[in-house]
Amino acid sequence: MPVNKFINGRLFWHILLLLFSIMMLFPLLFAISNSFKSLSESYNNMLSLIPGNPTFSNYVTIFTTLPLFQIILNTFITATIVTLFKLATSYFAAYAFTFFKFRGEKLLYFLFVATIFVPFTVMMIPNYLIISKIGLLNNIYGVILPQLCDATGIFIITQTMKTIPKSLIEVSKLDNVGTLGILRDIVFPLTKPAIVSSGIMFFINSWNEYVWPTLILKDRINFTLPLVLQMFISSEGGTSFPLAMAISMVTMIIPLILYLFFQKYILNTFSQSGIK
Amino acid sequence: MGKALLIHKNQIIAYLFIVPSLVIFSLFLIWPGIYTIYLSFLNWNLISPDKEFVGFGNYVALFQDPNTYKILINTFAYIVILLMLNCFLPYVLSFILEYVITKGKNFYKKVIFLPSIISLVVGSMLYVWILNPVSGPVAVLFKMLGISLPFWSNTNGLVIVVLSLITSWKVFGYNFIVLLAGVSNVPRGVIEAARLDNIPLHKIFFQIVLPMSSATGIYVFIMTIVQGLQYVFTPVSVITQGGPNYASSNLIYHSYQDAFVLYKTGQSAALSTMTLLLFVLLLFLEFKFVEKRVYYASK
Repeated sequence: MPVNKFINGRLFWHILLLLFSIMMLFPLLFAISNSFKSLSESYNNMLSLIPGNPTFSNYVTIFTTLPLFQIILNTFITATIVTLFKLATSYFAAYAFTFFKFRGEKLLYFLFVATIFVPFTVMMIPNYLIISKIGLLNNIYGVILPQLCDATGIFIITQTMKTIPKSLIEVSKLDNVGTLGILRDIVFPLTKPAIVSSGIMFFINSWNEYVWPTLILKDRINFTLPLVLQMFISSEGGTSFPLAMAISMVTMIIPLILYLFFQKYILNTFSQSGIK
Repeated sequence: MGKALLIHKNQIIAYLFIVPSLVIFSLFLIWPGIYTIYLSFLNWNLISPDKEFVGFGNYVALFQDPNTYKILINTFAYIVILLMLNCFLPYVLSFILEYVITKGKNFYKKVIFLPSIISLVVGSMLYVWILNPVSGPVAVLFKMLGISLPFWSNTNGLVIVVLSLITSWKVFGYNFIVLLAGVSNVPRGVIEAARLDNIPLHKIFFQIVLPMSSATGIYVFIMTIVQGLQYVFTPVSVITQGGPNYASSNLIYHSYQDAFVLYKTGQSAALSTMTLLLFVLLLFLEFKFVEKRVYYASK
């Protein structure tokens, strides 16, 4: 049957995959091109991917009407602190789980990994109460505090550390290398790829985080990027369309740059995270 | 004696390394979990100094509220659609990419993964415009064909499909990459032999690839449910706020709305506890039954 032959052939699947790729990329191209169009052009010619009269005016408008530099700085500080702490806590916990035998080891490891299955709604009310009690509502440190540790990070780094031969550690101990020396000079270089890619993953996820910051941050000046973006989504739509596209671009640009530079790392970690 | 002391010392060092994670997990995950279960037995509004013990009152109220059933049905609909879009479809595509096509593998991988690194708020906002039923590009294309788009955000049923599609834009690539890693572990020779024997692709997929990569498959299946329902929160919150009349709300969003919009803390906690039970059941099923079958199938 010719139809069967077509489906079993490569051409059919290339056409399908290309269509898929276009669907994935189209929203990005749509945002880039419209963010450089004037208001009237964006409405009259929303579909054209190359602006007729490219203009920076949308970017100028959002940077002058919103405290955008402060908002970018908030997002950056939040993502950086969250990433560094998650890496440190995951690295230390992974070290204990890999190279030490202690009571409750298996149970604790299971407990940590099982937390991946807990929906955020289970924690949101008590965490909101804790943050409000210690006076960190409407403050990025209130966003940061509950996120200093990460089960996926512990899992990925432990998996990588398990590939280091135990004898290497034993030998270093016999050579009188202290625990800190082992952590810094022996284990760290061997787990670096997993650490870098987990770090990028933490940073991007924190940069994009929406649910928890919406509960904690109230004033514009304390917002992170995804929250300011939300102000531009209104059922009326109105005159803000090209401005909304410009804000989207500002929000996307950092993760996009990180992805362009670290694709290999990122694709590797993400594919590992599903393998047991 | 010296050895026993050494073991003891090692235990202390190990605990010292675990303590930072343990403290944060206990304070912001385990304790809140227990507290939420406690709150589910109270009548409270998040602000008042008085909390009243009502036993299973919140649970009874939930089961008497017709909206709860609506939300449970919606949640089930989201699960089914997300499983099709984010588990089955990427599974098939990862098989095609690994064993059928020969060129462009890396290109497709990079492009399909790309949206996974972008904020879902950005995705929601872009799709609000792209799918705008009056002036959006999709509406313009359909108009040329003489079809007018329905106002999806106000249409029962359709709104769930579109919100799931928007969520998939972000989640698809991630699941795809994970499945690709699982599928590529199937021995190549088996697939190539089957291809040489002209066995149709769907048979190769269902009878060879699926059983031989089922460990990854089941992981993605369960994660699609657990994380998918939480990811949907963002487009629901940004685009419809659960409307029209709860038609796009799910367990997760409704629990948020009860707590922070309607200040029905007890009911929200009861709903979260029910969601937790559902997810724990999934985890249990994976460990008890599915893992066993995986083992059996891969033998």
